[in-house]
Amino acid sequence: MFRPDLEGRPIVVLSNNDGCVVARSNEAKKMGIQEGTPYFRLAQQFPGQKIAVFSSNYELYGELTGRVVSIIRQEAPAYFRYSIDECFMYLDGIAPDRLQQWGEHLHRRVRREVGLPISIGLAPNKTLAKIASKLAKKYAAYKHCCIIDNDYKRQRALAWCPIEDVWGIGRRYAAKLKALGCHSALDLASHHRDWVQLTFNNINMLRTWQELNGEDVVPNEELARKKSICTSRSFQGMIADKEALRTHVANYAARCAEKLRMQQSVASTVGVFVHTNAFREDLAQYWNFQETSLLTPTSSTTLVVRAALEVLDRIFVEGYRYKKAGVIVMNIDPDSPVQTDLFDLSAEQIQKMRRLDEVVDRINRLHGSETVVVGAQQYTLKDGRGKAEVFANAIKHDFRSKNPTTRWSDIIRLR
Amino acid sequence: MSNIKIVRGEFDTRLELVNAGVTAGFPSPADDYIHDTLDFNRDFIRHPEASFYGYVEGDSMKDAGLFDGDRVIIDRAVEPHDGSIVVAWWDGGFTMKYLDLTHRKEGYIELRPANPDYPVFKIKDPENFQIWGTVIHLIRTFEKF
Repeated sequence: MFRPDLEGRPIVVLSNNDGCVVARSNEAKKMGIQEGTPYFRLAQQFPGQKIAVFSSNYELYGELTGRVVSIIRQEAPAYFRYSIDECFMYLDGIAPDRLQQWGEHLHRRVRREVGLPISIGLAPNKTLAKIASKLAKKYAAYKHCCIIDNDYKRQRALAWCPIEDVWGIGRRYAAKLKALGCHSALDLASHHRDWVQLTFNNINMLRTWQELNGEDVVPNEELARKKSICTSRSFQGMIADKEALRTHVANYAARCAEKLRMQQSVASTVGVFVHTNAFREDLAQYWNFQETSLLTPTSSTTLVVRAALEVLDRIFVEGYRYKKAGVIVMNIDPDSPVQTDLFDLSAEQIQKMRRLDEVVDRINRLHGSETVVVGAQQYTLKDGRGKAEVFANAIKHDFRSKNPTTRWSDIIRLR
Repeated sequence: MSNIKIVRGEFDTRLELVNAGVTAGFPSPADDYIHDTLDFNRDFIRHPEASFYGYVEGDSMKDAGLFDGDRVIIDRAVEPHDGSIVVAWWDGGFTMKYLDLTHRKEGYIELRPANPDYPVFKIKDPENFQIWGTVIHLIRTFEKF
């Protein structure tokens, strides 16, 4: 968008810490770059080829997709944002014979006004709509909008769709289904309902099967709030120092709390895991996960960070070199008036914490994330020299794009 | 508390609290004349989803009153017409110039600077060229605050 010179060129986006490829442009896919390819392998595998490489920049992606949602709000009778780049819309009231035209109009408007290309899939339920949107993205003939509105189109789409690309089917189930001879979505849909039930005994798998067969059964409420939120990262090198590890865990905890507040919910369990580098067989290995319950469910940065650090104290063992750590918050409920515990903080204290978080969130939104952090989120240099280094600088993002929509310093230059 | 429903969400329109909470006393005669406060975002940004910002660099548009360091607001939802000041992607960078459509029928358009020291760009080849948006406002700050 801000780099029209890259249009039509292979582009990849790397995961946090620039580890491996998480997103590819159509051109990069055509070259045969696989998702998950480690960055350092790209140059080996595709020598002499020009590939544009970018670090993840969620600040930019979040702002731009917010604009897209805002247009969708004007164009669709009802919508429901599912993730940073996915949105479900309900098109009751639009005449069936005008849907294609409506979809093409929406694509054109978003492309022109925001500048992003979107793909639209229209179908009787969410699982089929996801497949339709994949078709719309892959084949230009659909003009960015693919409709599955009869049984013939449904069967053809299912036959095209590999089982691992079906919404809701994870890696493990995909492997099992393949072993059972289901390679396409159609293979699964053609089985008898009883077979699905007996083989998997899993409500979600049954729902997927029902949706592939045209029923609309996946409820919105369950999608709206995630049941657990995890923030984890592999380190650049390895970390043996407890203080450094504490800093990382505090940051993951703070991020979890922020995600909780974003979906207006609170958690009552905080878990932490750490592990060493399993690929380094020459080094001593250690893995541990533990959790703690909070007396009062919370989304406060201070409280989640405190709980996570307590857990880290329990599982940290000196003498190992850690490769990865993460924080998971669980038992998530809507942030309605929370039942406080007699022995926990007073209602007044909770109010104060909430106000503090609101202010911090606002400052971080205005001035860029991680402008304000809790003390444990900062590195202090060993010899106490200089100012504390902020965590943001500790993440590697060598190929970071600019933020022309969230930072004045990054707005475009006009010659 | 039980019969109070808490509604969450971001609201596009802020509501003035008219006479809120006042249960006694004489109602203010000004209540009938309450209008929403003037708001730059509301009144000057017509298409928030399509609005972007840019810094002016150099003096190629100085006769149009656009100087180095000025900030402009670009609206991608506004269709540029002959004579609009547009932001275009051209020759590997963003540029801001007058759009001249006089010769459209002859197969080319022109980007005109507002400074005789700069050349007029003739664009025949749509490759590497794209009109990115239309400039709708200029912001220049005179006093630091």
